Amino acid sequence: MTRKPRGDRDATEVLLEAATSAFRARAADSGRVEPSPAWWDLGPVERDELFARQMASRILEQSLDALGLSTTARSVLRRLPWIDQLGES
Amino acid sequence: MSDSLRLGLDRETAMTEIDQAYERMRAGDARAFEAWLRRVELPLRASLRSFARAVDVEAVLQEGLLRMWKLAQTLELEGPNASLRYALRVVHNLALMEARALKRLTPFDLEVLENLPEMQVDPDPTTDPGLRRLIRTCIELLPPRPRQALLLRLQDAGLSPDRDLAEMLTMKVNTFLQNIVRARKLLSQCLAKHGITVEGTRP
Repeated sequence: MTRKPRGDRDATEVLLEAATSAFRARAADSGRVEPSPAWWDLGPVERDELFARQMASRILEQSLDALGLSTTARSVLRRLPWIDQLGES
Repeated sequence: MSDSLRLGLDRETAMTEIDQAYERMRAGDARAFEAWLRRVELPLRASLRSFARAVDVEAVLQEGLLRMWKLAQTLELEGPNASLRYALRVVHNLALMEARALKRLTPFDLEVLENLPEMQVDPDPTTDPGLRRLIRTCIELLPPRPRQALLLRLQDAGLSPDRDLAEMLTMKVNTFLQNIVRARKLLSQCLAKHGITVEGTRP
């Protein structure tokens, strides 16, 4: 098994952490949820790793949260007033 | 009718907590959406594993969850966990559309993903107070900067980009992210010492 040099691995860790966040920007025109900019810079194997990290992170967040909500759920809930406004226009 | 058959039918027709939450969502009850999210997020996320190389699962999932909130106002569903099963189709279709748009998959990959069998779901995440206490204790044991970075990310709950969070802690974005990487690693090690491993973490 080949290992990436330390510097490369550190850079990958930073990219993975950036994409693990539940923050996602919205397209200005459609309001659609956009991929994390860091996601584009990850290779196929790192994207598998990202999936596992996102899952692990949300499980931890749910366990930690008094209402059992992850940062994904909270991020979505915060968008509701905005989404409902779109529906009315 | 035998008792066992009757019991089976009762189980089949009983409204699950997901169904009850969905019914209240249909009336625009945001609290009910909260309860619904708590139950469906992890099964929906797990169902997108096959798409991880082709799309940003987090973005697809958030989009799908928001669409379910909008759809609930007009979409009547029947059957146990019908809203979860419907949401599975919504997120899968979104993932396929996104993968096609990004041209990240070969026609063969697309065909495989289009024909994935409907997955069995276990919509019952439970919050263990003991685990919560342990995680909190492990977070308290983290060095100050990694702890601050991780807690701020958790408290912000996906509202702000990392550059804003880093600025609040007077850190560069890269330093902020490195601190969270370190925090997760140490947290994972602390949990492992107590026999807890979470999928995707490496002590």
